[in-house]
Amino acid sequence: MIRTLAVALALALASPVVAQDFSAGSEASSWGLAGEAPARFEAQVVDILCELAGDCPPDCGAGARHLGLKRTADDVLVLPMKNGQPIFTGAVADLAPLCGQTIEVDGLLVGPEAAKFYQIQRIRPEGVTEFQPADAFTSAWAEANPEAAAQGGDWFRNDPGVRGQIEQNGYLGLGLETDKAFIADWF
Amino acid sequence: MQSTPIRLAILCAMAMAPQAAWSATEPERIQVTGEMIDTWCYFSGVMGGPDAVVGSAHHTCALWCAAGGIPVGLLADDGTVYMILKLEGADPLAEADTLLTVASDRLTADGMHHVRDGVNYLIVRDVVANEGIVNLTHETFGPVPGFAIPEPAQ
Repeated sequence: MIRTLAVALALALASPVVAQDFSAGSEASSWGLAGEAPARFEAQVVDILCELAGDCPPDCGAGARHLGLKRTADDVLVLPMKNGQPIFTGAVADLAPLCGQTIEVDGLLVGPEAAKFYQIQRIRPEGVTEFQPADAFTSAWAEANPEAAAQGGDWFRNDPGVRGQIEQNGYLGLGLETDKAFIADWF
Repeated sequence: MQSTPIRLAILCAMAMAPQAAWSATEPERIQVTGEMIDTWCYFSGVMGGPDAVVGSAHHTCALWCAAGGIPVGLLADDGTVYMILKLEGADPLAEADTLLTVASDRLTADGMHHVRDGVNYLIVRDVVANEGIVNLTHETFGPVPGFAIPEPAQ
């Protein structure tokens, strides 16, 4: 009977989604987020579409796709939603150059216990001693949008795609007339 | 009749079985209806509760996050969030403007559903229907975040 219980417990602990503590050695800053837990771990940078569907272009899609972190300790595929910049920026620009590499990351696991997501604050690429900040988005954006970047100010106010949508459909997305009425009432 | 410890062991194993199944499942073709959302703000709570970071109140921020390369999700009517890996054949970050055109929209998507480690992913083959923005949350919350709409110059 005891052996049966032990086997059941071992099976439970072997499940990759059982919560593990990856906080050892983490220097991640708190952002006060839901379900936040510091997490530093080693992982391979993978193309999620390749992992799930066998659709595998070279270089993990060269920045065109969402990338994942396949954690060495338990083979769990962690989805990094966010980099370390507090300005609406994802993590693909930080990870794409590291496609296929086994790297070390430090940041925050966030969200519900059943499906944690990740915010990367620091990255230590393969063969590199020091961690580097995960803040590549804005420089990549400026390189891709030189005229918009030259305007100065926040990238998200100047992004041509965002500006085009707002000019066409307004800040609420409901049309310029609705926007006009709302703004007149709100401010 | 089984003894109490054996029953406990079976219950323990049964309780853990769904978690083991979460690690990966066979892909399944589905049609799902819901709202295209900004997943970071929805799951992190960085700008408030989930009701405030959807719909028209959060539309501008949803544009910012989609343009910033944060995964866009489809929040289904049953509360499931599907991470969008492709939209009608387009890689999401190669053609980010495509995602911007459907930000906050309520749509019906047809595609392949994958589950890995508790996360739902959707490779959208077709957008079957698009009702536009129907979740008028600005009427309750105003703009979220407050600075999403710049204050008009006096």
